[in-house]
Amino acid sequence: MSQQRIDCMYEACPIPLLKALKKLKTMKVGEVLIMETDHSCSITNVVEWAKKQGHEVDYVEISDGEWEIYIEKKQ
Amino acid sequence: MASSKIQELKKQRQLSNKRKKNQVIYGVVCIFIVVLIYLFLLKNNFIYSFIWKIGLLIGFTLQKSRFCFTASFRDPIMVGSTSILKAIIIAFIISTIGFAFIQYISTGGNFNIRIEDIPGQIDPVGVHTILGAILFGVGMVIAGGCASGTLMRIGEGFILQMVVLCGFIIGTLLGGNHFEFWDKLLIRNSPTIYIPHYIGFPLSVFLQIVVLIALYYVADWYDKKNNIMMTM
Repeated sequence: MSQQRIDCMYEACPIPLLKALKKLKTMKVGEVLIMETDHSCSITNVVEWAKKQGHEVDYVEISDGEWEIYIEKKQ
Repeated sequence: MASSKIQELKKQRQLSNKRKKNQVIYGVVCIFIVVLIYLFLLKNNFIYSFIWKIGLLIGFTLQKSRFCFTASFRDPIMVGSTSILKAIIIAFIISTIGFAFIQYISTGGNFNIRIEDIPGQIDPVGVHTILGAILFGVGMVIAGGCASGTLMRIGEGFILQMVVLCGFIIGTLLGGNHFEFWDKLLIRNSPTIYIPHYIGFPLSVFLQIVVLIALYYVADWYDKKNNIMMTM
């Protein structure tokens, strides 16, 4: 199972989404992208966008105010 | 439901979680300070105590809903998603109805009085409106938040927005200082337009709601049409 990780700590909206977008383009279908972020808005932002694109997506709070978002590329 | 791969990663991650700090004590201290300020204001200035209460409620709602005025105008263009924009349009419909009541009651149904006496932000409209809107729009997208969003995120602990707040304060001070210049140059010569003076109060409220509902459907259609990322 291959996965890629990007660090979006301390980045404000919309940078995390743009970073995820660029990374996803280079990835193969079935790979999982892990994003680390501490920006609560990018959760709504990224999760909604990824769902709309048809990717599998979920997130978990790893520490106080820090989250990991998982996106599995589907297409 | 997320796929099995994601479930597994999530489970792994939750097992290796750092222990979270207990924040209950900070919360109690904060509530205590908030109540103290409220009691102080209640004793000295009733209107401020009321504003304090409303401000707290708005801040709470903003944080919990992760509402973002910047995203509402940026996302339609950047990723073709209008869910927050639709929320804003609904908020506009609600406030239109609310302000219709407020203005109707405070003027007693007689709208031929001076515009300054009507409650609400009815200001001159002109080139300065466009200029200000463009400046504000560019600024908020670069900074990652408008005024309320910036303040909410500082409260949340997002440190980057502190820099934005500094810029925000400098800008406000400069703007306040130079307001007279702009007032003389543009604002004073621009007309103040209050639509009910031209087509009557009931019709203008009705029209505004109809236009907002139409905009809602346009936003909804745009969202569905832009299902695939268009830019880049």
